Amino acid sequence: MDARLRRVNKEIADCKNDKTSNIRIDLVDSSPFHLKGSFPGPEDTPYQGGLFEVDIVIPDSYPFQPVKMKFITKVYHPNVSSASGAICLDILKDAWSPVLTLKSTLISLQSLLCSPEPNDPQDAEVAKHYTTSKRSFEETAIYWTKTYAMPRGGAGAETAQAAKTDTRDEVAIAGLEAAHVDQFEALGFPRGKVIDVLRRLNYRGANVAKITEDRVVEELLK
Amino acid sequence: MSSDYEFSDEEVDNVFDDDDMDMQDQDSDADSGMDILDDFKPTTTTTRKAYDLPYESLTQSAVEALMAADVEHIRGIFGVDASTASLLLRHLNWNKEKLIEKYMDGASAMLVAAGVTMPEPEPAPSTTSTRGAGAIRRPTRKTKQASPAPTSKKDDGAFVCPICFDDTPGLTALALDCGHGACGACWGAYVRAKIRDEGEHACRCMAEGCALVAPDVFIKDVLLASSEDDAMGEDGEGAATYVRFQELLVRHFVACTNHLKFCPHPGCTNTVSCPGAAGRSVLTTIVPTVSCGVRGVVSSISTSSTIAPSPAPATVAGGKKPISRTNSMSASQELARGKEHKFCFGCPIDSDHRPVVCGVAALWLKKCRDDSETANWIKSNTKECAKCMSTIEKNGGCNHMTCKKCKHEFCWVCMGPWSEHGTAWYSCNRYDEKGGIDARDSQSKSRASLERYLHYYNRWANHEQSAKLALDLFSKTEKKMEEMQVTSALTWIEVGVQFMKKAVEEVDKCRMTLKWTYAMAYYLAKGNQKDLFEDNQRDLEKAVEDLSELLESPIEPENIPTLRQKVTDKTVYVQKRNTIVLEDTADGFLEDRWSWNVSVDGFDAPEE
Repeated sequence: MDARLRRVNKEIADCKNDKTSNIRIDLVDSSPFHLKGSFPGPEDTPYQGGLFEVDIVIPDSYPFQPVKMKFITKVYHPNVSSASGAICLDILKDAWSPVLTLKSTLISLQSLLCSPEPNDPQDAEVAKHYTTSKRSFEETAIYWTKTYAMPRGGAGAETAQAAKTDTRDEVAIAGLEAAHVDQFEALGFPRGKVIDVLRRLNYRGANVAKITEDRVVEELLK
Repeated sequence: MSSDYEFSDEEVDNVFDDDDMDMQDQDSDADSGMDILDDFKPTTTTTRKAYDLPYESLTQSAVEALMAADVEHIRGIFGVDASTASLLLRHLNWNKEKLIEKYMDGASAMLVAAGVTMPEPEPAPSTTSTRGAGAIRRPTRKTKQASPAPTSKKDDGAFVCPICFDDTPGLTALALDCGHGACGACWGAYVRAKIRDEGEHACRCMAEGCALVAPDVFIKDVLLASSEDDAMGEDGEGAATYVRFQELLVRHFVACTNHLKFCPHPGCTNTVSCPGAAGRSVLTTIVPTVSCGVRGVVSSISTSSTIAPSPAPATVAGGKKPISRTNSMSASQELARGKEHKFCFGCPIDSDHRPVVCGVAALWLKKCRDDSETANWIKSNTKECAKCMSTIEKNGGCNHMTCKKCKHEFCWVCMGPWSEHGTAWYSCNRYDEKGGIDARDSQSKSRASLERYLHYYNRWANHEQSAKLALDLFSKTEKKMEEMQVTSALTWIEVGVQFMKKAVEEVDKCRMTLKWTYAMAYYLAKGNQKDLFEDNQRDLEKAVEDLSELLESPIEPENIPTLRQKVTDKTVYVQKRNTIVLEDTADGFLEDRWSWNVSVDGFDAPEE
């Protein structure tokens, strides 16, 4: 049998038999080379309680080339792109070793959620947020976990409420203060643009005092 | 009489063929070619022009001999085996002084860093590896490590390869000194993926965090064993990969050595040594055009068609050789294919860009490319490594880039070294905004000067186009003359084709010079020097156009003798004019006579 197929089948079976790690690997379609992994967000982190899904593509030269992984679930994390889910992790690039498995790689992703590396960021804006104000960052990350990583049924009451207050949703997702957004929206700028500019300028925490209003308006006028 | 000429024509071919193999100096080739064409003798007997630099062409095995000498040197000093010595040298990029110094400071640390030996006290596994992974990943690694340790010994039947989970009884484990075992097929596939897909010559142990590098003998064994296996694919693939591995080693050595450069022509594996152009600083005064000595396209298909046909007909019969040759390949193709592998030692341009220096030539090419779609793509998707100037595509991941070639780490956004980034990486954002403004500014300026640019560009491109057309024309002319040879039994025409060929080659060479003079003139600051330069340029251009016109004049049997005289005279004149342009500009660089209207690396900033 093809060595790659044998190895992947064994890895999927191993993962099924392992009840302690909470890591799941499922087929996406009939091919064993396109998979979906999932794991719970680690305890005592903003990701606690969420379920995070990862898209897994096994390249032809696996296991001699690293497996391709990206988050399907949106994650607010300095080393994960908030737009595409792309992941910055050394073992997915040059530090890959053929003895690593899908399971061990997913566990590494889980531990990446525990220990962000803002100095080696994938998403510079999120990383900025992290270094400016860790508390504010965590609030946003919790909000993202609630919005994107919680099973729909469990938060039924909240989703109904969230639909009502759709606008506040956007502000919280951007990790901004509603008061700041309101302040500039009152000057006559569209709300979406205000959120965009404030997020880009990292208008949060101690930075608010450093960025003048004129600077924000200048950006808004561009 | 007839066979006499045939023979001498053959000799020319043979000289080219010899060239392929033993890389004779160019002069010998030119001289023996000239023996049959006395007309050209006066100008080509002079040895080396002022603008030519001495250089030497080396084959792959010659470079391997240089490497072996370095390895032997280190082996003698340290008293280690050759494999260890070469791993140490590769680790420090063949810098012997640095290696000796560091080795004397701490031999064991050096050996560990180069992947020769295991670190003595077993360190915590997470130190070498990766970020943040430690706490959670460790348990799984423990279970993994349980299997290789006992099985690395040939323990019949008990071995299960930890990579592919093959548990065939009798499967044997292969491992480096570290004992991390895997089956031969997996080692083969792994080494092949490293060498083929990643172009990596250092194959580390497959176990995570194990830094041991596989020695050459191990790689050879694994690859040659795997090619015997059916599972590993076609025959000889392992051997081909091993050849590639050796080539990668040579390339790495050449890349690490200042006075060596790899021939950039596709498929060519020669190296040129040019100590005169080893530093970047000399590139403002000289244009180090070199040639690896090989002509034509190096591949299995074309070598068989260019080299094989020539010796055979000459020995078989004296008479009917030329026609068979022209049937198999048109003359223009032959000229284009037979082109010498000329390239610039100082920059990535893979042709002769004399008279203009590398910095200005690069500016010009960049400018020309700025208008094309490809350039737009390259501009938006790639950047040059700040250290080794390799073009790098960002294909995903974060802004922390590591150059594949020189391992320089830098930030994609600001191009500064990553080590200086620390926590201040967010300054990149500000740079970006400023860069945006600059880019818009320069765009409007370039629009204003577009007209001036087009003047130079059209002439630049025209010379390239004309050179190609001249080759086509020559193939038609040659055919016509050979037809006449058959119909009118004029036996001397065979040599007559030689004078045409020589003239076409000269036109081609001069058009290349002319082409680059336009790039130079575009950047030359206004003044007397530029006027003089453009006078020389005009004289050469006029002579070249005259000669081109002569080459296009109708050929009839009765006017061939006069045409031959005219063409020969004009060719000599054109050669002289070309030498004047090249020599004058080369002297100008040495005398620091040229000044530019833009800032060029290594030159004084323009006035104003």
